Amino acid sequence: MGETILEVTNQRTAFATGRGLLQAVDGVSFTLERGKILGVVGESGSGKSVLSRSIMRLLPGTAVTGPGSRVVLNGQDLMQMSEGELRRLRGPQMAIVFQDPMTALNPVLTIGKQISEVLTFHLKMGKRDARRKAVELLRAVGLPQPDVRVDQYPHQLSGGMRQRVAIAIAIACEPDLLIADEPTTALDVTVQAEILDLLQRMVRERNMAMVLITHDMGVVAGRCDEVAVMYAGRIVEKAPVTELFRNTAMPYTAALFASIPRVTDPPHRKLDAIEGRPPDLINPPPGCPFAPRCRFAEEACRRTVPELEGTATHQWACIKPLNREVAA
Amino acid sequence: MHYLFRRFQRLFIVMIVVTFVTFLLVNILPGDVAYEMAGMDSSEAEVEAIREEMGLNRPVLIRYAEWVGGIFTGDWGRSFINKEDVWHAIMQRFPVSFELMILAQAIALAMAIPAGMLSAYRPNGRGDRIIGAIAFASVSMPSFMTAILLIYFFSLHLGWLPATGYEPLSEGLWANLKPMILPALSLALVEWTILMRTLRVEMISVLQENYIALARAKGMSNRRILWVHALRPSSFSMITLLGLQVARLLGGTIIIEQIFGIPGVGRLLIHAVYTRDFIVIQGCVTFFALAFVTANFLVDIAYAWLDPRVRTRGAHG
Repeated sequence: MGETILEVTNQRTAFATGRGLLQAVDGVSFTLERGKILGVVGESGSGKSVLSRSIMRLLPGTAVTGPGSRVVLNGQDLMQMSEGELRRLRGPQMAIVFQDPMTALNPVLTIGKQISEVLTFHLKMGKRDARRKAVELLRAVGLPQPDVRVDQYPHQLSGGMRQRVAIAIAIACEPDLLIADEPTTALDVTVQAEILDLLQRMVRERNMAMVLITHDMGVVAGRCDEVAVMYAGRIVEKAPVTELFRNTAMPYTAALFASIPRVTDPPHRKLDAIEGRPPDLINPPPGCPFAPRCRFAEEACRRTVPELEGTATHQWACIKPLNREVAA
Repeated sequence: MHYLFRRFQRLFIVMIVVTFVTFLLVNILPGDVAYEMAGMDSSEAEVEAIREEMGLNRPVLIRYAEWVGGIFTGDWGRSFINKEDVWHAIMQRFPVSFELMILAQAIALAMAIPAGMLSAYRPNGRGDRIIGAIAFASVSMPSFMTAILLIYFFSLHLGWLPATGYEPLSEGLWANLKPMILPALSLALVEWTILMRTLRVEMISVLQENYIALARAKGMSNRRILWVHALRPSSFSMITLLGLQVARLLGGTIIIEQIFGIPGVGRLLIHAVYTRDFIVIQGCVTFFALAFVTANFLVDIAYAWLDPRVRTRGAHG
């Protein structure tokens, strides 16, 4: 077993709204080791982005964190830390790459400034050294003409290039944990693979741990070591990536797989979209949150919320898992 | 180049409208400069003779055309009362008014920026509400009333600053600034609130931006986020206002110069109005309009500094 970088235990995050408390993340637990990539997959509103901000402790003032929640990064309990202590970790120990590179960079500061300020702020580097390092980082993330680009502004770069810059910012202080929150959703398909490859390479080269958040099953397929599927603020299935693909247990995961278009499909075939909408997180229905949309749901599914169960490597939150007749 | 040309076109139209309207207004006013020149006890015939001599009997349009022609050749005319060259008279007093306005705007900005930031950082928080209340009180008082209160408090009561007067810069910086502080503050106490509220609104929305979230994720301090990351993108409306406020300030200086006895363009104008010295009035108004358009031209340049996107757009034509 490798060195544990991140340990999340029973993370609960809610938001105070006019209608009541919205439980965005509802008891999520996982651990992540150095050098590993955890894919977090889910629909919009499944709580995956809130989870990423909960880990970084970057939640807005309206957020309420559940009392039993624990996030431990490199053995440090983030819940016990002051804002100032957390600030010293953001950058050097944990970093995030956001979804939309068009809005994630400051329009009035040069690329170089946005990278080097992390270095001068956290590593107390001199201005000139920081600039040299910024050029180096830009080269490392594959930005052409890094010594020219370093003095340019974000609007002079394409979306893919900006995402490379965002990655350069994230890895500048060599963090142990990198969170990529839908890093390719806003990009052209051709650029998506490049950015994902880059992220994967950075994780391997720098021996980091990464949480890769996405709504696209195709993204996690070749790149993650483990995948956690989120639904209505919970992890509903978690397994090593090949196991998950081969031995899907949760009907929701199966539905996600079914919604990926395949090259072998006949043209103009209608996609198997998941019927219905995710549940209301302010007044969730009793029982399994996926039950109202599940083809296999029974009476029992609507009574109690299923807990994560299964083996050491593969867990699911379903009382009627697929492909499990023999085990049951 | 094209841009500059358009600017000048606009400037030209503004100047014509402004000067023509003042020309008409001065003519509508009862009494004219001839009465002033002839003196209190002069007969109607004497006054008429002066009118004749000075060409005041000719139609308004012709006199206006003559005056405009003069402006284009650099001749702003001479005062009817003391024969002083109008351009010279304005230029002599302008640095004083200019200093007053710059000082007022500087004080207003120095108050507005930290206060606006503090308000925007926690909207509807305690700091925001306190600042909002102060601003409301401050803007509710006209500058001439603030001026009187300030004089009462700082000059009469505490005796820290003089109530009136002006010292040229040659007397030393502090000697020059000292009598300017209260007048500038009187103007600033109205102007800062508008700047502050504008900055507050824009900054509240900027602080919701993704790049601010990223700055937080980079572990930047709140102070750095506000000053380095949020201030510049938040100050577009404020800078626009800064230019527009020049108009209000020009009006404000007229009153404030009067109260504090400062020999600026405002006093020149007031005096000219009393004596119906319309060529001086014309000159002052034209100069004010010029100053206003110039200030807003500078604002446009400031945009380019604030936002690199404007810069490149300019470079490509």
